[in-house]
Amino acid sequence: MNAFNQIEPSRELRDTCAIVGTATSRLGKVPGTSSLDLMVEAIRNALDDAGLKASDIDGVLCRGPDDSYSHHQLVAERLGINARFSTTLTNGGASQIMSVALAIMAIRFGLANTVVCGFSRDTWSRTHANEEVRVRNETRPESMLAREFGPEYGYYGATAAHAFGATRHMHLYGTTRDHFGEIAVAFREHALRNPDAQMKKPLTIEDYHAGRLIVAPFGMYDCSLRSDAAGAVIVTSAARAKDLRQPPVLIKGFGFHNNTRGWFADDNMVVTAAKQAGEAAYRMAGLGPQDVDTAQIYDCFTYMVLTQLEDYGFCKKGEGGPFVASGALRLGGALPCNTSGGQLSESHCEGMLQIVEGVRQMRHTYPAHRQVKDAEVALISGHGGNQVCHSTLILGRA
Amino acid sequence: MNQTVPKPKPRPAPESLPYWQAAKEHRLSLPRCEDCEQFWFPPSRTCPHCLSANFAFKDVSGRGKVFSFVTFHRVYRPAFAEEVPYVVALVELEEGPRLLTNILGVSHEDVRCEMPVEVVFDDYDEDISIPKFKPVG
Repeated sequence: MNAFNQIEPSRELRDTCAIVGTATSRLGKVPGTSSLDLMVEAIRNALDDAGLKASDIDGVLCRGPDDSYSHHQLVAERLGINARFSTTLTNGGASQIMSVALAIMAIRFGLANTVVCGFSRDTWSRTHANEEVRVRNETRPESMLAREFGPEYGYYGATAAHAFGATRHMHLYGTTRDHFGEIAVAFREHALRNPDAQMKKPLTIEDYHAGRLIVAPFGMYDCSLRSDAAGAVIVTSAARAKDLRQPPVLIKGFGFHNNTRGWFADDNMVVTAAKQAGEAAYRMAGLGPQDVDTAQIYDCFTYMVLTQLEDYGFCKKGEGGPFVASGALRLGGALPCNTSGGQLSESHCEGMLQIVEGVRQMRHTYPAHRQVKDAEVALISGHGGNQVCHSTLILGRA
Repeated sequence: MNQTVPKPKPRPAPESLPYWQAAKEHRLSLPRCEDCEQFWFPPSRTCPHCLSANFAFKDVSGRGKVFSFVTFHRVYRPAFAEEVPYVVALVELEEGPRLLTNILGVSHEDVRCEMPVEVVFDDYDEDISIPKFKPVG
């Protein structure tokens, strides 16, 4: 970055908008549905949560599976509304936070009043329809595979891509599979407190090590779930939020960065764009990592939690292993993380459930065994695209 | 080699044709900028370092080191059923660019980051040879 393109995130948007409704669809294995069905189910539940009607919504920022063209239009059609402001973003798992930010900008500049942001997928159903698709384990059609420089080497899937980062981190910093295992075990323990979570069985570190290897250093418990799932949040101005059913949760900051030189370029597989995305969000919010009470981190794989915790400044680069080994991520720990079970154990909904859980933690309506005590600030991360797109959202209590 | 389910054959993009042409002759050849003199990969027609379109494919040493690697235990495609566990590595060439590849001639348990490697060519058929790497020496 040079002087010409220095940025200073505006603080004008801080606390101007709130999340006033949030919900999920049924999660996990929901055969006989489509991603659109699930999206509408989650939005209907979020409207109920907010005490709003579909006709109160004038913005739709929804996304579905990568081969779903103009998902938002199909969603709005099923909601029976014409939307002032409507589109689908395409930054993979970083899109969902970006859609919340786009909603805030649209509301702030008079392009919309009340926007629903959501993501839905039917990935469990897609990858379990028959043996062939189960083996391929692809969420996208075959036509989207690389033509060269990948498949000829037997290189397939997101697991391998992220495992490259894990190997490198282990090489540079002495990180171990015990560290990754603690992340899987901690999030499973949180999922057992969440009746909607896909995974219902306890997981021990011995179970973790006994799990079959997928793409080493990742075994099966390092990998997020294949889920049918949808989540939605409803965003409106802080002024409108005051009169609604739920305690409003304020949006304090957001930020983005994309290491678009590539996951394999520079040190990008061990120092992610969460670093700059987080710094931008912290500056907008006027907060720092020391102010964060709970983090909902994009956990497509255990390693991505560890490296993002470092990049967000919760510990130094390279110290993520000892940090998680201290028990920090557990409910009751120093930084309770993925408190509904995360994508590793609740359901994988491309970061949307991280936003939902952040909102719920800020409402203080959970029973004590699920609530992060006295939590005032939640940090939420999104990660995706070809491993290089990052987004950060900071929520706070009104 | 599993004869009934062939492994995927690379389908070169137009920009990559000289790379695969050289590989067929067992040469590793990458685009190099005539202005800033840097190499890059994967092939494209504009130098990502300086945006010059003035470039030529040039043979490289074929030597490098393992930047990072993974070991496939899961069979994602039947064509690789006989190969697991196999290593997919990111090799950083002496000239700078990093290439995705397989590491041959060594147990997957003995591959390490920073391990010195050199190119070998795996003849897929009469049209295509695939650059792979093996430990030096």
